Formats: sequence, C-alpha cells, structure tokens
Amino acid sequence: MKWTPFLLVIPAVGYIIGFSFFPTIDAVYLSFQDPHGGLSLHNYQELAYFNIGGSVLDTVLVTVGALAIQLGLGFVVASVLSREFFGKKAVSTITIIPMGVATVVAAITFSFIFETSGGYANTILHSLFGANVDWYSTSLSSLLVVMLADSWKNTPIVSLILLAGMSSIPKELYYSASIDGAGPLRRFLYITLPNLRSFIGVALILRGVQEFNIFALPLILIGDHPPLLTTLVYNLYTTTFPEVGLALAAATVLLGFILVFMGVVIKLTGGRSS
Amino acid sequence: MKWSYIGAIIIGIYFLFPLYVLFLLAFNQPDYTLLARYPTLIPVSITINNLAVSLQGTAFIDPLIKSLETATLVGIITLILGIPAGYGLSRLPRGLAYPILVLLLVTNMMPAIVIGIPIAVEFIKLHLFETVEGLALAQTLITLPLATFILQGTFSSIPGDLENQARIDGAGLIRRLFSILLPIAAPGIAAAFLISWMFSWDEFTYAILLIPFHSTLPVTIYSDVTRGNLLAGVAFSLVFTLPVIVLTLALQKYLRGEYLAGGIKG
Repeated sequence: MKWTPFLLVIPAVGYIIGFSFFPTIDAVYLSFQDPHGGLSLHNYQELAYFNIGGSVLDTVLVTVGALAIQLGLGFVVASVLSREFFGKKAVSTITIIPMGVATVVAAITFSFIFETSGGYANTILHSLFGANVDWYSTSLSSLLVVMLADSWKNTPIVSLILLAGMSSIPKELYYSASIDGAGPLRRFLYITLPNLRSFIGVALILRGVQEFNIFALPLILIGDHPPLLTTLVYNLYTTTFPEVGLALAAATVLLGFILVFMGVVIKLTGGRSS
Repeated sequence: MKWSYIGAIIIGIYFLFPLYVLFLLAFNQPDYTLLARYPTLIPVSITINNLAVSLQGTAFIDPLIKSLETATLVGIITLILGIPAGYGLSRLPRGLAYPILVLLLVTNMMPAIVIGIPIAVEFIKLHLFETVEGLALAQTLITLPLATFILQGTFSSIPGDLENQARIDGAGLIRRLFSILLPIAAPGIAAAFLISWMFSWDEFTYAILLIPFHSTLPVTIYSDVTRGNLLAGVAFSLVFTLPVIVLTLALQKYLRGEYLAGGIKG
C-alpha cells in the first residue's frame, strides 16, 4: 500500500528524465564530437568565427537589463495593488492581460511601435519634440527594444510573485516603523526588501532562466544582428543542418551560463529560507 | 491614496498601449497605419476590410487547427501523467515529495533550444518530425512540472480522513479516485489543463524546431511577418490573442504568485 503513491509518480518523472535529461546529455556529448567522430574541442574553436563572445555579452546584457526593468516595474505594480482603493480590481485585471498575449504577438506589436519609419513611438516623439529616433541604429538600442517588449509581456508574473510576498509581511511591522519615524523609502529598504528576499529570488530564477532563453522576441524584432546565444544557435542549426555539432556547441555555452546563473541566484537569495 | 491612482494610471497605460496599437493596426485603413510616415494614434478610418481580406481563404485554417490540436493534446498528456503524479506526491512523505518536485521544476528550466535540437534529430528517425504528436510530446516537458505542482497542491488540500473513511468502507483506489478525489479536485484539474493549453498555444521554440514547415499559429505568424505579409500577421495575431485573453481573465484566480513561489520556497 505504501508503494502506491511512489508508483504513481514514476511515469511523470520518467517522462521528464527521458525527454529532458537524455537529450541534454546527448546535446553536450555531441557538441564535443568532431566531424570524424572523435572527441575534440573542434566545434568550440569554430565558434570563435561566429562572434560567440559578442553573443554571450549581448545575452548577459539583455538578461540583466530585462530583469532590472521587470523587478522595478514589478515593485511599482505590486505596491499599488497591495493598497486598497476604488477600482483596484480593474487595475489588477489590466496588469494580468499581457500574460494572455502570445510572445509572438507581443513581438510583432512592439516591432510596429518601434519601427524606424512609420512607428508609433516615433509618432509620439515627433508630436511632442519633433524628434525621430532610429531604434535600430546601435546594437544597444536594438537590445533595449527587445528588453522593453520582453518586460511588457513578463512584468505581470514578477508582480504576482512580489505581491504574494508583500501580502505575507505583517502590517504591524509597517505601523511600528512609521511610529518610530521611518519614511516610505526606509520602510521599503528595511522591511519590504529583506522580507521579500526569497520571493525576489524566485522571481529572478524564474525570469532569469527565461531571459537567457529569450528567442522569439529577438528573432522577430532584430533577427540575428546583434546575435544572442539563442538566435546564434538557431542560425547555426538552420544553416548547417544536418550537421548540428556547431549549433550544439553554442547551445552548451548557453546551458553553462544558465546553470551558473541559477547557482549564483540561489546562493545570493538563500535557498534554505523558511 | 493619491499615489495609488497615479501609479494605477501609469500602469494602465503601459499595459494597454501595445494592445491599443494592435487594435489600430487591425481596424484602421493601412494608409493611416502601415503606410504612414507617422501613424495616427486615434482610430480615424475604422474598417473590417483588413481582417476580412486576411482571414478569407484557407491559409489561416490549417495552422489554427494545428494549434488547437497540439494544445488540446498537450493538455490531455499533461493530465494523464500529472494527475497520478500530483496525487502520488500529495500522499508521499514531505521529505520525499519535495526533492521530486524540485527535480521536476529544475528540469523545466533546461533551455528548449538545447533540448529541441537532439529531439528533432531523433524525431526524424522516428517519423515524429513535422507531426502534431511529436510537438505535443515535447511541449509537455514545459507544462507537466507546473501542472504536477498545481495538482499536488490540490490533492494535498483534500483531507486524508475523507479518503480513509472510503477505504474502510471498502472502496479501492480507482473507486476512490472517481467518486471522491477527482470531483473534489475538479477546479485544480481544470486549471492545470487550461494552463497547459495556454502554454502550448503560445509556444514557439519547439514549434519552429519540430514543425518548421506546416506549423502552428505562432510560427505561421512569424513567417508571414518576415515575408512582409504584415496585415495577415496582424489579423492572425488578433484572432490568436482574443481567446487567450478571455481565458487568462477567467483563470485569474489561479494565476497566483503563491503557487509559483511555493514551488521553490517550500
């Protein structure tokens, strides 16, 4: 009898291991194979010709930038929604809507907003300041467009997590702090932030891993220039298929960064919290 | 109080503006949107011509059916694997259930583009490449851990006494499952199904790797837009988005931070 629950879990665990663990190990193993079937670093040396350094840098930049925007906006949304006011329900409904918009649709909408000629962002800038911006003139500004689009789509999930954290903080802490004379900023720094540590950690891991994997948005908004790790993998995969070694080497680099990132965040925000 | 309203207004504009742009693109004449140097921010020439032209013919039907099939299949596979797993985990001792849940959620973080390429190579050999079944099997990787987690929570909230009572009365596992557990867990099961369905509906990476040619809607919209078929892309996007927004709002009470946070916090 005791074994029944255990047996029930096995199919799901087996499925995940079979479809996720084995292909991952397979991918890493194949990436170290040279065209003649021997083990070597051949694919990794080859990657140097495809600006792998630039892709790593761009990927880290997008990850850090998008996480910063999402955490910042997430805090704003969560603070507003943690108060009581008339119309709160409507606002909280609005903040969930982007979760229902497909990533591809978000990408296309933002590509129309940030078009260089005929874009809605330029309409606004033009009518306000008479200015016109070429959003894709530098790789930094192109990446900024990607970060903004991604943040629009994904701030809701961050604010949901932060809101869950904020509602777990006892209100008495804030009352006694304000009696002791702490202003809003100090209350935020000394009460909200420390108590939210594990929630921020969850949001960072959940979103950070997805940020490293960001694929549809940059593919649609900027193609593969400047390249991110995922668009580089995809580009190498489609151009060299059925030889997949080179693409898998780039994919392995991506995997390495994700594992390091997860380790760092878990370490920083304390995996063993209550 | 005042700050709440200012914040709420800014948030409202930020979250709604892109959708408003999509609406303008879909319902304004192209002269004022796609073809204009500075597209207007107000609806000046409402027309349904854009949608009518783009949605007639069959170009749109095939990907729509593929998306519907895949998403439904993903929901079904997820429940077939996820209900037993969720129930099993809820009845296992915590010290055992927790590491298994963490294992499931961590594998969920493996990049699709890393896993997708070896799977594609394998699927070509197994004749699962370019099939709805193959894609659904891959997408279930993303949905199963989350669904298992939701279902584990749902089954945990059913008191063990209720089940023990039935067991004493002589009801076997199957009998208990259908007459007690599943009816009580129905809302959680529905949520797990719909969340899986929505994930699949939106999924892009596995779709473009495993069904690159006659694909689901997201990939079709992508190729329409890259081929310069912009109005079709916008029209498909709108059709593609509306049902999911409705679903999201219907599911609002299940989209809770506690669910997501609890998984890692424990």
